[in-house]
Amino acid sequence: MARRRDQGAVSGISRLWREAGPTSRLIIGFLMVALVGIVGLTPKSLFDQELVWPYAALVAAVGWGRSGVAFRPMVLLVILGVAQDVSAYAPLGCFGFINLSVFGLSAAFSRAFDRERAPIISMAAPVVLYAIAFSLVWLLASFASGHVVQVSPLISAMVVTYVMHMLMAPVFDLGRRIVPLTGSMV
Amino acid sequence: MARVRGKRLKGRPLRRYALFIALAGLFGVLLLQTSPRLRAMVDPTRAMAADQLASSARPGLWDQITGKAAREARIRELEAQVRELTRYRSVAISMAARLEAYEEMLNVMGEPPVRGVTARITTETNGPFREAILVNAGRLQGVEEGAYAENEGGLVGRVVQLGERSARVLLVTDFNSRVPVMGEASGLRAILFGDRDDLGTLTDLPERGDFILGERVLTSGEGGIFPRGIVVGEIVQRGGTLRVEFGMRDSQGGFVRLMPSMKIPTPETFPVQEAPSEETETAASEGAESQGAQNPGAP
Repeated sequence: MARRRDQGAVSGISRLWREAGPTSRLIIGFLMVALVGIVGLTPKSLFDQELVWPYAALVAAVGWGRSGVAFRPMVLLVILGVAQDVSAYAPLGCFGFINLSVFGLSAAFSRAFDRERAPIISMAAPVVLYAIAFSLVWLLASFASGHVVQVSPLISAMVVTYVMHMLMAPVFDLGRRIVPLTGSMV
Repeated sequence: MARVRGKRLKGRPLRRYALFIALAGLFGVLLLQTSPRLRAMVDPTRAMAADQLASSARPGLWDQITGKAAREARIRELEAQVRELTRYRSVAISMAARLEAYEEMLNVMGEPPVRGVTARITTETNGPFREAILVNAGRLQGVEEGAYAENEGGLVGRVVQLGERSARVLLVTDFNSRVPVMGEASGLRAILFGDRDDLGTLTDLPERGDFILGERVLTSGEGGIFPRGIVVGEIVQRGGTLRVEFGMRDSQGGFVRLMPSMKIPTPETFPVQEAPSEETETAASEGAESQGAQNPGAP
């Protein structure tokens, strides 16, 4: 009985999410990124081990990019980028540039290869995008600090970001689809 | 339908251009920051933003609502005080050790060990006559004639009447009390007596110099009633003259500590024993020898 009730609640939420428009989804996604980012600003450790925190804005950039290029996600990504710059003491515009790059690449990737939303592309594309994103982070950080920065923390962050992507990708789906090409089998 | 599609087609390149323009703009901002002058211009704004955004020490809204922020601020304040006092304690310990060493080197006669009786105030008389208190300790409890009373704030008065189980203490705030005092910082000496407005008045002031406003007033030890260095109050200014605000008024817990007065015997009490002179000693020894020659059988 309780299980049925739980299933009912879940289906209710998924129905609400299905019916939600891009604006609501964008706002919820933005709040989610802000929440993850704010928690990330606090000191976090588990058994005296410093926890690696995901780059939630990149997950949002990948997710929002899959719905195509749009103004509002771009503005939000720039805002989040400024916040990241300030909190990470990066040069201003650094994370905005990375977020927008990933957003644009994600949109281009979806347009070119992921019109049918094939599971293999959905799994592999974010790996490539995060790899590019973290390469950009490494590159800009190295340029900004005047020396080659460590790669291993960035790889850890990338893995954690990908885990977050797997868990939260639906939250950053704006509901719009890049239409399949005419004459496709779907 | 065709219009809608046309609008979409028109909109897409614009968005794409916007993306490229934004990327180019951000990259330009990044490049501009390679200039140290421009970076110096950006840094204050950035520091302010970081204070607002990234400071984990800044209390959150929830902390402010629940009062946690205020408690934590108080804890930090007290911790700072403890740190400071710890520093003072170590300084005090080292100073006490040094003082002891100096006293030993100079052969200073130390103060007698302090012993006293804590008594409860049973009666207070703050009428137009004498300002005095009655305490529930007397001769049986070890209170001595001329003992002085103090509380946490400082000197309270001295015992003017001693009974078996009680004692009357004349307060320093009384007009008839006369306490030899000195300024802690200025070192000036004066006589203090109580006045009608609950403040002390200084008399017999030195011709040169003046007490410093805010300095502590201590007993000078002159007169032999009160030992030197007991806090009496603090110098305040009232109506253009320097007065003394009594410290005893700060802590009226209903108890006083009765301490024996400083008794230094006068030289007449214990005169120096004169040693017998050398001439008298030789005369005596000669007399004894001649007596022995006259009576050889004498033991």
